[in-house]
Amino acid sequence: MPLHVVYAQSGKLSARDILNKVDDLYRGDASTGEMTMAIVTENWSRTLTMQIWAKGKDKSLIRILSPAKEQGTATLRVGNDIWNYLPKVNRTIKVSSSMMSQSWMGSHFTNDDLVRESRMADDYTFETTFDGVRDGIKVIEITCIPKPEAAIVWGKIVLTVKDESYIPLSILYYDESMNLVRTLIFSDIKNMDGRDIPMKMTVVPADKPDESTIVTYNQITFSTPIDDSVFSLRNLENP
Amino acid sequence: MITIYYSWRNLWRNSRRTLITLIALALTTAVLIINLALVEGYLKDAVANATDLVVGEAQVHAPGYLEDHSLYKTIENPDAILKAARDNGIGATERTYGYGLVSVGNKSAGAFFWGVKPSAEKTTFELAKHIGEGSFLTDSETGGIVLGKKIARSLNANVGDEIIAVVQAADGSLSPALYNVTGILKSAGEDIDRGAAILNDADFRGLFVMDKGVHEIALNSKGRIAPEMMPQLLAPALGKAEIKTWRQLLPAFSDIINLSSASIGIIGIVFFLAAGLGIMNTMLMATYDRMREFGILKALGTGPARIIGNVLAEAFLLSLVATLIGIILGLAGSYYLQVVGLDTGKVSGEISFAGVAFDPVWHASISVRTIILPVLEMWVICVLASLYPAILAARLEPVKAMLHV
Repeated sequence: MPLHVVYAQSGKLSARDILNKVDDLYRGDASTGEMTMAIVTENWSRTLTMQIWAKGKDKSLIRILSPAKEQGTATLRVGNDIWNYLPKVNRTIKVSSSMMSQSWMGSHFTNDDLVRESRMADDYTFETTFDGVRDGIKVIEITCIPKPEAAIVWGKIVLTVKDESYIPLSILYYDESMNLVRTLIFSDIKNMDGRDIPMKMTVVPADKPDESTIVTYNQITFSTPIDDSVFSLRNLENP
Repeated sequence: MITIYYSWRNLWRNSRRTLITLIALALTTAVLIINLALVEGYLKDAVANATDLVVGEAQVHAPGYLEDHSLYKTIENPDAILKAARDNGIGATERTYGYGLVSVGNKSAGAFFWGVKPSAEKTTFELAKHIGEGSFLTDSETGGIVLGKKIARSLNANVGDEIIAVVQAADGSLSPALYNVTGILKSAGEDIDRGAAILNDADFRGLFVMDKGVHEIALNSKGRIAPEMMPQLLAPALGKAEIKTWRQLLPAFSDIINLSSASIGIIGIVFFLAAGLGIMNTMLMATYDRMREFGILKALGTGPARIIGNVLAEAFLLSLVATLIGIILGLAGSYYLQVVGLDTGKVSGEISFAGVAFDPVWHASISVRTIILPVLEMWVICVLASLYPAILAARLEPVKAMLHV
């Protein structure tokens, strides 16, 4: 196994390989899944369930299954473009680049999070800033600073993975003034379709620690091929 | 009484000198009154330009609303505040705001939605009349939307086009709706031009799933009530809500007004001084002219106090009559300028500041102050300017005074 070769040579994956592994964690040639998104804000809480399809690194479709009021609302992403289909008014709108930093579906994720194609290993300069035992777990921490030419909104991101398995534990996002903006925590690791992946992702905005968005995969497969026509405006409007 | 009678007769013994002084005094008074009315009018217009369009002389918000424009920071008792404002003769209108997205065709843009009561908006503010294309909303019709100039341009939206609005409603849900563009505003400041999407109150509440609560009550008495008085007048109805005057809401504009009122005030003071010096000169000469007369009076045994008293009485009588004529002339002049105004547009072209077009016609504004100040100045200068030569004359030896040239 190639992994053993790497181990044999250095004992560990390099920082670059760890970043690539994390970037590819939920990506595959094609993935299909169902997830639940629970959003808690100061003023309201709500839970959405949705079906997702993703292919390659630049095509995805998300369709809301519940609540009933928003059922059928769908987001299609192809490359850098995002469209939202709104069944209530039977219209599709294209999300403009100026709206990319806005919240997606009221969650603590932004539209930008959906389209981001950046790869940590390519768009950041990085170094391992911690390697050892923290809170009883052997972890590796890698700090990434965006390259000047990369179109990245963050000032710094700090990734922590489990040693040996390289499954991500958390990513801290900092703004350009190096203030913590949000924390992404990975948990509930399960083996799905032959991969060990965290089934639960929790986002907590730094300025509102009582708020959060929790995304839980109810099910995910990496083996079913998806036809390209799934990621078309026609399919977005007429599933 | 007898002093006044003699003074009056004395004045007309040299009718030419008195008439010249009288005319000079009256005209100066009139010009000062008009000048002051123009200054007041300028400042009032400048304030009205800042407040009449949309901001108002004061606004009421929930505490902290202005910091983050949170959908959830609403005024608890809007009806009581609206009633208190209207009972005090202050025009008032309620507004509700929220962020979202508007889209036409394949163009979309972020928008700041306003929920307004169209008829109250029309009677209290100019914005509803500040329409470039189409028309403003009406109370009875729903489904219409009015857009700011630049946002309409960036969406390529025209009157009659269908607009898709998508917002995150107060309950967190993603709420879409369709509207028709009824109007596009003229330029009204950067924020409005770039972001405003104005809806009927009922439509706004449907879109944002918000059945009650308002974010803003804008107050405009159109100059009838001093904005500084409004917090006091509305205090009993405010509850937890906060009131801020336009000076707090538009600090940059307030500074500009302060600066221009200071500079125009300084020009006004210079004008007052110049006019005062002119009158002082006239009065000094008119009194010096009578040195020989005072000498004769002294030779006949008139006491110094009597001479001073007579001169002062004459000066006061003269200024009284002159300022009376001056008030009539000044009022007539400033009334004309208040109603018709000076059209500065021919000289300066259209003036605009921060995207707000200014009325190029300069109107005067008459108030008690614009009359009292010039009249008082004239009285004081007349009396003081004649006092000095009178004291001089009263202390001179009769022969010297008689020989005075």
